[in-house]
Amino acid sequence: MARMKFYCDAERCIECNACVTACKNEHEIPWGVNRRRVVTIKDGEEGERSLSVACMHCSDAPCATVCPVDCFYTTGDGIVLHDKDICIGCGYCFYACPFGAPQFPEEAAFASRGKMDKCTFCAGGPEEDHSSDETRKYGRNRLAEGKLPLCAEMCSTKALLSGDADVISDIYRKRVINRGASAFNWGVNFNNSKISG
Amino acid sequence: MRFKTLLLLLCLLLPQFALADGPPKKPNYPEGVSSISPGSELWGAVRQRDGVLLDGVSQVRGVDAGILINEQGYRWARFRVSELTLYSAWALAGVLVLIFLIYVIRGKVGIEGGLSGNMVRRFSDYERIVHWVLAIVFLFLALSGLILLLGRPLLIPLFGKEVFSLMASASKEGHNLVGPLFLVSLLMMIFSFVRRNIYEKGDLTWLLKGGGFIGKDHVSGGFFNMGEKTWYWMVILIGLVISVSGLILVMPIFGQGRIIMEIAHVIHVIGALALIVVSIGHMYMGSIGTEGTLEGMKTGYVDINWADAHHDRWGRECHEKDLIVSAEEYARLVGKPSVDEADGRETT
Repeated sequence: MARMKFYCDAERCIECNACVTACKNEHEIPWGVNRRRVVTIKDGEEGERSLSVACMHCSDAPCATVCPVDCFYTTGDGIVLHDKDICIGCGYCFYACPFGAPQFPEEAAFASRGKMDKCTFCAGGPEEDHSSDETRKYGRNRLAEGKLPLCAEMCSTKALLSGDADVISDIYRKRVINRGASAFNWGVNFNNSKISG
Repeated sequence: MRFKTLLLLLCLLLPQFALADGPPKKPNYPEGVSSISPGSELWGAVRQRDGVLLDGVSQVRGVDAGILINEQGYRWARFRVSELTLYSAWALAGVLVLIFLIYVIRGKVGIEGGLSGNMVRRFSDYERIVHWVLAIVFLFLALSGLILLLGRPLLIPLFGKEVFSLMASASKEGHNLVGPLFLVSLLMMIFSFVRRNIYEKGDLTWLLKGGGFIGKDHVSGGFFNMGEKTWYWMVILIGLVISVSGLILVMPIFGQGRIIMEIAHVIHVIGALALIVVSIGHMYMGSIGTEGTLEGMKTGYVDINWADAHHDRWGRECHEKDLIVSAEEYARLVGKPSVDEADGRETT
């Protein structure tokens, strides 16, 4: 059984925001909700890095711990999903999540929170696969079609990886070796490449 | 044979001689290069290892969108599900047991000489409306808040997730809608009761004598005694704190980030629990705890013997100003509320 993970390579991400756009388009996410976002640290300074971040599908997810109605569950693939029929839109998962993954559509006056929406690893929700209810509430279920999340699938620099943790950590390990991480060559150094990924 | 063994032992001693010669010389390595990974510094900063929140930028427009990792969130979540839930449940259970024990041991506090039937005006209609509006709003908010706080460990095992989700959803929506009303009724409470709740001489004596709760002696008190005044100021001050923190939580439109909301949540819950716990005592004292007290908030009149027993300074004033209403007059007034009801109103 796979253990699904996202991995974003900060040495490769060019902050093109294509993952954000692809996600919004694929799942027809309403205005104001972003399941994925790209954060740039030290923007315009030396050592600037960008990372694409969404739900990290934690093993011990704080959102699931703190949810007052216990609407979260973890699938056999290690994907953290939630049941929008149970969710009451209290916002506690948003406070608890370190990555800012849970999003709330503005439902009524004073920005009162609707039901929470977050990255599903393109795995839908508790409803039957490909049912209209599932699509309406959670977006497309690509995993049931044998596909991986679209954000990572279409990443132009292959900075964002998704899939079984074993596979993507292998890919990343090879990349790190290729960069020749010696004492003199921290970070990117493609000249010292010895192993082809 | 013996010589060979001796030689072997001597060989074993050799390293000792070498040490005695001085510390072993360092091998002649080239000078080391000190190099810290820039990555380790960057990701250490992102994880806030130094306690400073690192704010990045994002094309996604939203509060906190530039914060990659919010370390505070996990701490808050742990506090919310372990300490906060556990201690609040114990505090509530504790105060209920305490009240029960007080009732069993002490029983209903009666009035020496019983009730006279002659009444005196204590609260106006407006004051009673203010009290009961605040009381009902408070009870609703307390109940809906406790459902959200303790529902997962206590109610989900009873009702299941689907039914509890409905209860919790109603609680959340109701709590959010009724919440602002609490602030309104609290402001009404401030203006209508503040004058008689300012601490005065004699209040300290009341506190030192334990409010007459310990022993048989009645302790001197004015219109409100020290305990009632303290409860009033608790309601006002903690109530204002709860209102402000509640508005921070319910309206995420002022640009407040998660950390502010986490802090607001903790303050909101601890303040509310303090009020709930003390309010249980207030409800007990006002109803089955003491004889003749509830009458004051029900009809606005209290027995003159009750006033003499619990609020002797105010009672004396009522005698002096001749504000006592006879039993027949009282029955007429309560049975048929009319304009002349206000005539008996006590003003201090």
